[in-house]
Order: sequence, then structure tokens, then C-alpha cells
Amino acid sequence: MAGNGVSGASGKKSSDMNDLPTFSAEKLQSNMKVIYYSRTFLSIIGGVIAGILGFTGLTGFILYFLVMAVTSVGLIAKARFSVHSYFDCWNRVILDGFVSGLMSFVLFWTFAYDIVHIF
Amino acid sequence: MAEDLVLDTAIRDWVLIPLSVVMVLIGILRYFVSKLMRSNQVPDAKIVKEGQVVIRARNLRAAANFIPFKSFRARRVYFSNEENGLLFVPKGQAQNPQAQMFSDPNMAMDMMKKNLSMIIPQTLTFAWVNFFFSGFVAAKIPFPLTQRFRSMLQNGIDLSTVDVSYVSSRSWYFLNLFGLRGLFSLILGEENATDDTQRMMQMSGFGFDASKSLSAEKDGLDIVQHEWALPKFEQRAEAVLRRLVG
Repeated sequence: MAGNGVSGASGKKSSDMNDLPTFSAEKLQSNMKVIYYSRTFLSIIGGVIAGILGFTGLTGFILYFLVMAVTSVGLIAKARFSVHSYFDCWNRVILDGFVSGLMSFVLFWTFAYDIVHIF
Repeated sequence: MAEDLVLDTAIRDWVLIPLSVVMVLIGILRYFVSKLMRSNQVPDAKIVKEGQVVIRARNLRAAANFIPFKSFRARRVYFSNEENGLLFVPKGQAQNPQAQMFSDPNMAMDMMKKNLSMIIPQTLTFAWVNFFFSGFVAAKIPFPLTQRFRSMLQNGIDLSTVDVSYVSSRSWYFLNLFGLRGLFSLILGEENATDDTQRMMQMSGFGFDASKSLSAEKDGLDIVQHEWALPKFEQRAEAVLRRLVG
């Protein structure tokens, strides 16, 4: 979770009407990439953990949601709780990469679970 | 819903693990092969020029409010006037990308190489899996699914009494094919992940149409509402300073 792209975004909501969105698109993209990487990585790790612990059914998915929530909290903490100076909206931090991570999670969950528990 | 099947440990050692490892290694191999085969052709100067013009116009549009109206108008005319503006494409001169592709065999060759580097390993792996590992259960997914998923997960087994969560080896191959994308983007970098989508776009669109993006950018530039930001910046600075002092 390297927050390497410190975007010079000043999208802070000031009290007046003069909030011009000043984003640096490349920095924003780099931040998004960091989110994507950390989510993929953690979903793979989470899948292996769920498989080794032998979770089945709903508990595994609950673990996935937990892992994703922890990731979101970690990312927000990494952004020093000022999400709007790194990303253009909240959904980016919380929802991005959720579905693509699920596929990796299911695969590694199945893999680890089969190796440890089925045979 | 039968009782639990007992799977042989040999299946794990000789099917499940080798199959996954082979999928990962083939993915890595494919990445490097396509990297080697990518011909670094000299880009056409005209296309590069058009791309740069579009980027400049986009920058102007994004930063329009930070320059005075007069300057903005001068720049807009420079880009979009009807005689010799940079974004203006004369009618009839717009090149059809399909025709362009046929006139330039390199482009078609390059695309064919890319497609081949994707299709050949997949076909080979699928044939390999089909030949050696067809017709038995290789894995079990740890969550229940409905009957609809049977054809997806038990491809190659024609038994309706086996629980749906058992996965045949052929379907394990497909699961790997789709699920390993995240892993590849981690170990091979972003390039690999974007490569596939770009390839899809190229296959469907046959390259992009430069003149179309030029005229779209021109339209976008024409409808920009200019509002100079500087007069308001004093108030903004005042607010910031007040917050600092107060």
C-alpha cells in the first residue's frame, strides 16, 4: 500500500462556491492503481487464509467482506483520513476492485481448501 | 445430493496442483513471448501529431478557467476555426481506418501476431487438459451453488447425482483462466492486465479513428463555458488565510 502518488488535488469543499476541481489525472490514476493492487493482493491472501482455516459457505464470503473492509480502512488511514485530497470520491476507496478481487478470492479459497481439507 | 465423495490424493498431487502451476507458468510465458514479438514499429508521424493535438486541446479545455477570456478565445480559435484550425478535419479527407488497415499490411500482421499469441497457448492448454484430465472430479468449491451452475462447473462429467459444488478438471481449468488475472496483474505489472483489454478493443474496433476524436474534441472545445477563476481566488485566499489565522 504505497501511497506514492500524492496528488495535488485540492478538492476540499470550501464554504464558498469557488471549489474548482483541480485534479492531476495521472496522479489520480496512480492512486487508483495502488488501490487495485492492494485489493487484489489482499483478496488472494484472504482466499488462502479462508481455505486453510476451512471456511465453507457464507463464512468465507463474510471473511471476504471483512478483508475488504479492513483494506478500505487501511487505505483511508494511509490517506491520513483526508480521502478527498487523494481521490475524487468516496466510492473509489470503498468499492473499487471489489468484484475483480472476488474472482481471485474464490479461486485461491477453493485451491487452498481443496489441498488442505478435501483430500 | 449424494454423500461426500472421497477424492484420491493422487488427484491433488498430479492434477490440481500441476494444472494451476502450469496455468501460471503459461501466463508468464505468454507475457514474455508477446513482449518479444511486439514489433517496435516507427509510429506514423501524422497519427502522433493528431494525438498530441488532441491532448493539447484537452489540456486547454481542462484548464480553461485559469486563463483570461481573451487568451482562451485566442487559443480556441487557434484550435477550432473553420479554415486552418488544428482540430478541423476537412470533409472527405477523413481516412477510413479499415481502408487504412488494408493499405498497411504491417498493421494487420501485428494484430494477427497478437491474436495468435493469445489463442495458441489457450488452445494448446485446453487440448492438454482435455486429453489427460478429462472426465473426473478434481476439486470442490467450498460453498453451495444451485443446479444452474452444473454445466459451468462439471463440464465433462455427465452425472446428475453429483453435488454441484464438485468441479471437474476441465472446469477447474476455466476457473483458473478467469481467476488468475488478478495474480498476473500482481506479478507481471499493470501492463499485462491492460494488454488484454486493449487487445479486445482492437479486435472490435480495428484501431481508433483519429479524425473522429479530433472532431469530438473540437465540439467539446466549442461548448466550453468560460469563467475566469482569478477574481474568485482572492476570496478563496482570504478564506484560507482567515482559517489559518483564526
